Amino acid sequence: MMNLPLWLIPLLPLVGTILLGAIAVISSGSKKGPSEGMVGFLAVLFPALAFVAVLLLAMGMPVDGIRGTLCNWIDIPLFKADFGFLFDGLSRIMLLFVTGIGALITLYSIGYMHGDRGFARFFAYINLFLFSMIVLVLGDSLLLTFLGWEGVGLCSYLLIGFWNKDVNNCKAANKAFIVNRVGDIGFLLGMLCLVTVGGAGILNYDALNAFIQMILTGGHVEIVLPILSLAGLLFFIGCTGKSAQIPLLTWLPDAMAGPTPVSALIHAATMVTAGVYLLARLGNMFALLPVVLFIITLIGLLTAFWAAMAGLFQNDIKKVLAYSTISQLGYMFMAAGVCAFDASIFHVFTHAFFKAALFLGAGAVIHALAGEQDMRKMGGMLKKTPVTACVMLFAFFAIIGFPGFAGFWSKDLILERLFMSGPLGPAFYVVGLLTAVITAVYMGRLIILTFFGSYRGSKESEEHIHEAPACMLIPMVILAIGAIFAGYFWADSLGITVFSDSLAPVVGAAQASVVHAGAHVNPLIFAGLGTLAALLGMFIALKVYGSARIPEAKGSSAPQGFKASWTFFFDSLHKYCGIIPVSVLAWICDVVVDKILQAIQWTVGAIATILGDGVSTFQVRKVRLQLAFSVACVAILVAVVLLTGGTF
Amino acid sequence: MLLHLLVLAPFVAAILMVATSKEDSKSSSRLAFLFGVTFFALSIALVAGGNQATEAIEWFRIPGCKGPVFYYLYSHGLGAWLVFLSCGLSLVALVTARNTFHKNYRNFAIGIFSLMGAMNGTFLSADAVLFFFFFEAMVIPAAVMIAGFGGKEKTKAAMTFAIYTLVGSAPMMVALWYLLTVADNSLLLSLAIALQSLPASTQFLILLSFLLAFLVKTPIFPFHGWQAITYAEAPAPLSAILTGAMSKAGVFGFIAWILPIFPLSMTTVNVMLWLGLVTAVYGGLMALRANDSKKLLAFSSMSHLGLAVAGVFSLSEAMLPAVLVLLIAHGISAGAQFFLMGIAERMTGTRDINLMGGLASRNPVFSTLFGFAAIMALAIPGTAGFVGEFTVLLSIWDMGPLPAVVAGFCLILSAAYMLRFVQKVIFGKAAREYEDGTRMTALEGSSIGVMVVLLLAFGFHPSCITTSLHLFDEDAIEEMSKLSGHDMNEAVTADSSNVEGIEADASSVESTEGSEASENASEEVRPMKEDELRQLDSTLAAAGFDEKERASIIQQMNATDAEQANAEATENE
Amino acid sequence: MELQAIYVQVLALAIFAIGLIVAISRRNVFFVLMGVELALNAVNLSFVGFAKTLPADMSVAGQIVPLFSIAIAAAEACVGLAMVILIFRNRESVDADTYSNMKG
Repeated sequence: MMNLPLWLIPLLPLVGTILLGAIAVISSGSKKGPSEGMVGFLAVLFPALAFVAVLLLAMGMPVDGIRGTLCNWIDIPLFKADFGFLFDGLSRIMLLFVTGIGALITLYSIGYMHGDRGFARFFAYINLFLFSMIVLVLGDSLLLTFLGWEGVGLCSYLLIGFWNKDVNNCKAANKAFIVNRVGDIGFLLGMLCLVTVGGAGILNYDALNAFIQMILTGGHVEIVLPILSLAGLLFFIGCTGKSAQIPLLTWLPDAMAGPTPVSALIHAATMVTAGVYLLARLGNMFALLPVVLFIITLIGLLTAFWAAMAGLFQNDIKKVLAYSTISQLGYMFMAAGVCAFDASIFHVFTHAFFKAALFLGAGAVIHALAGEQDMRKMGGMLKKTPVTACVMLFAFFAIIGFPGFAGFWSKDLILERLFMSGPLGPAFYVVGLLTAVITAVYMGRLIILTFFGSYRGSKESEEHIHEAPACMLIPMVILAIGAIFAGYFWADSLGITVFSDSLAPVVGAAQASVVHAGAHVNPLIFAGLGTLAALLGMFIALKVYGSARIPEAKGSSAPQGFKASWTFFFDSLHKYCGIIPVSVLAWICDVVVDKILQAIQWTVGAIATILGDGVSTFQVRKVRLQLAFSVACVAILVAVVLLTGGTF
Repeated sequence: MLLHLLVLAPFVAAILMVATSKEDSKSSSRLAFLFGVTFFALSIALVAGGNQATEAIEWFRIPGCKGPVFYYLYSHGLGAWLVFLSCGLSLVALVTARNTFHKNYRNFAIGIFSLMGAMNGTFLSADAVLFFFFFEAMVIPAAVMIAGFGGKEKTKAAMTFAIYTLVGSAPMMVALWYLLTVADNSLLLSLAIALQSLPASTQFLILLSFLLAFLVKTPIFPFHGWQAITYAEAPAPLSAILTGAMSKAGVFGFIAWILPIFPLSMTTVNVMLWLGLVTAVYGGLMALRANDSKKLLAFSSMSHLGLAVAGVFSLSEAMLPAVLVLLIAHGISAGAQFFLMGIAERMTGTRDINLMGGLASRNPVFSTLFGFAAIMALAIPGTAGFVGEFTVLLSIWDMGPLPAVVAGFCLILSAAYMLRFVQKVIFGKAAREYEDGTRMTALEGSSIGVMVVLLLAFGFHPSCITTSLHLFDEDAIEEMSKLSGHDMNEAVTADSSNVEGIEADASSVESTEGSEASENASEEVRPMKEDELRQLDSTLAAAGFDEKERASIIQQMNATDAEQANAEATENE
Repeated sequence: MELQAIYVQVLALAIFAIGLIVAISRRNVFFVLMGVELALNAVNLSFVGFAKTLPADMSVAGQIVPLFSIAIAAAEACVGLAMVILIFRNRESVDADTYSNMKG
């Protein structure tokens, strides 16, 4: 099936979007709304078809990928861009899990969104999201990737603010979009930077790689290094926005205001990993920029650690998962920072499974409890919702890196690469390991508070608790299976390297260029230490939260007191560095500058009026006097002309 | 013929509209709709037809001037697309106004048609006096309509608008008259040649008075005093035309009259670039605080147009298509937003965004359109706005990273104010109890829907705009020089650089202008800087030169620089 | 004895001065109108007076112009009187000083 055109893959969800959008708009007037069965079928059909198309293409892909150009997009002097697609090892993996998990989560949403007024609208957005995400990973140029990049941001905005009757949801959505926009501008300026270095066609990935190859062989790295570093930094700013890294991470916890499947799909499995994808895609360029790489590692490390700490103090089940996502993304950035792009993509891959499973499990719990998200009001769910609990448990083992589960393989790989990355490697490694311990603690806390002990909610609500319907359970179970076995695509110690082989044509060159110094350590030691960290974390969680002491639920699920302000430290940073200066500037413009301008305008107007008034006093009441005036003036004029001898 | 129809027939239509009944809005609206569709179709034919010109007809002679004033219309890509905007927006305005003004619809239609004729004349005239005539004529129907159909402070708004814009272009009239006393006739070519013969200080004065007219019309900070109150008080369909088409006359003036006539010094270019950027930031900040929805949209327009002007004065090679796409995208999206806001005002009975809200649940179809239009204004990739803003940013980047960063900051601001606007108007719960006014009709909805679809289409296929640009082709130049009374060769010898600049097509006009500008600026030759060399080297490397070749090229450059510097030094001694 | 041209001019000037003074100093609007007529006729007289100084074949042009002007003056007097009467009807006054509607 080699002759399947590449543009078919993004086209399918786009058709879905248009169909569902039309249904949503047409049915918005009617009371009953469209039939949920039909809408649900359409909604799942197109992502599933896209998945099948990707699968067929993936089977017969040649080593160096498939390229296809649809048509010209922008063609002006100085700049050209095409609608072209690139299907290679990297985009194959990304596409497989984007469309696969996308289809699964769409299926899950049919159950979750049952009875919602905006049923069709929701699926139109989801399809639009998948379209944008596919364009993001399939595009063969940075500009096309940017189309997807902002497209997913837009969908994220639409879906976070999906329940738009509550203004707080809208505010969370606005925040997500604006913070992302800051990052996007970084991306945009980065592209401009590249264009100035390499000319009109440079935004194409192949051309970029060729350009870098040319610099390398020509030995001109020093010449272009400053501007390339600038471009790299700007791209990295874009990544921090989209992937919620320091300092642009505050939007992700707030983004949990959206429906839970959205959190699973967009804010855990796919969209937030776009930053990692971009780093890997531009791997050849980043490999030249040691300073930028160091910054990336440092930011990743700090983010992973800080988000894990913040996760400890959350009571909202979705917020714990949000911080855990940020923390895991930090791991991926660490790996990218030491040029271990394949490891970071591998973690993206496994993380997509277990984090989606966790979110869907949390969604099932919230669904069962009729919208309750505060973990302090949960407990003992193990008996009431056994399947959900099992799914969550498997995913839990995966995320803490319990031996044999998916997270174990990928996380260990990252830590190992960190250790070997250079003189600072061991220090990085220690922090990473510490973060792994904390991860186990807060995830253990989540599991214990939710599923163990006894139910702490009100009596009436206890009777309504029920297991989720089948269309929600099936995707969860499939994802749980993925969370267990996804790691075996690249099990170094078992000698399986399917995953890294598949990525090698894309990122291999970049990784080879960075020489890994340092002594070779037996990988089993890393595995052992990782296991130890997971066990230690679980043990601490059990000791601290497993005892009979039940934390009290005080009203709202928002964190309180000192912890709250500490948790949202970056919010205040944004407030003081971003929002307040801009508001002050706006205030100055509005109240000072504009008023001054208006005053000037008024003064000029007033002077004209006063002059007019003054002149009009000459216009006396008496007609005869006016006549006399004019005669006198004529006489004076004649006299002047005669006396001056006609000079005037 | 097409050109004559587009410029003169609207006035005829306006006169014919007088014949319809004033009381019965139905019959008059039918006729108006018919005319509107016809003009829209004509404008599409114009865009599709490429460059064309009419016979130059001698119009009148100004006493004291050498040559006559011609009635001479000429359509190039830029003007044609702006005519498209003016006709399209007028058509939608006629459609949406039908449900807003019941009694006086006829008079409104008369106003719209005369405004349309004047705008088309502005964008199509090849003669400076004719251009100026239409440029001023636009103000009158607009001001009359504001005074007749506006909001509470309509008289003040109309007066402010008329006086501000007319006074702003008064110096241009004087400067133009002065220039005409020197020039052979009032066509572009002879004006440009005539200007060369004047002393530098006079040139600068003339430039200033020309600039002022366009700065006020666009408007650019600090000459924007009339804009917010005018757009807010004007009836929404008229605001849409004002921002969508009329404000483009300012930018059009910069491109079609300032750049070809005046040799710009680097300082002027820089000042204009930064004025544009300051306008963009200022508009964004003001929009962030505005509570009157139409003022918010007015400031958002100001921000976008500031960016466009900054793009024009980047003088990069990519400038013209970039700015044109930006202008069209902004024209359509801002127009759609004003139309929608007019409908929202009709439904909720207020313009204050704090008193709105909850429209998403009350009127989902309207809100879908509203949200769409807002997204288009945000320049999401895939919409025409993105293509425009990206390419303009690309041009601005030519002037250095700092202007580009400021422009990027504007994009962030635009997201902030636009999302706040959307949230306040359609999301949440209704802020107060009110009776629903007339809802959006199917015709209104579909016409605005078409605008949105157009934006998407241009976003994915902008080449239909960018390829239609040939400002001045050979025939037009020949015609012009024939009218000037001397043949091409003479003109070339008279002033080679300028004629060359006009002779070539759009892009090279700008590039020669750009180089000319830099020539003027660097009277004292400055040696090439280190990083410039580095950049040159890397570009050469990208172009596939090998190491030795590059080294030799750079050496040559250095040598010539040094020589020039030496020559300069000896001259100074 | 031939009539000296200057005497005609002096007479015209005197009549013009009388007309002007009447127009300016009288308040009755009819007198103002009469003053204006008088001044006009003084100008006609002056015209004819100058025309006489030229040779006969050329002086014809100068004598024709006053004829035109007399015809127009008649028309003007009609309109002027009609306006005065209308104003008189509205204001019930012939005092020109009370006509100040047009003051801004």
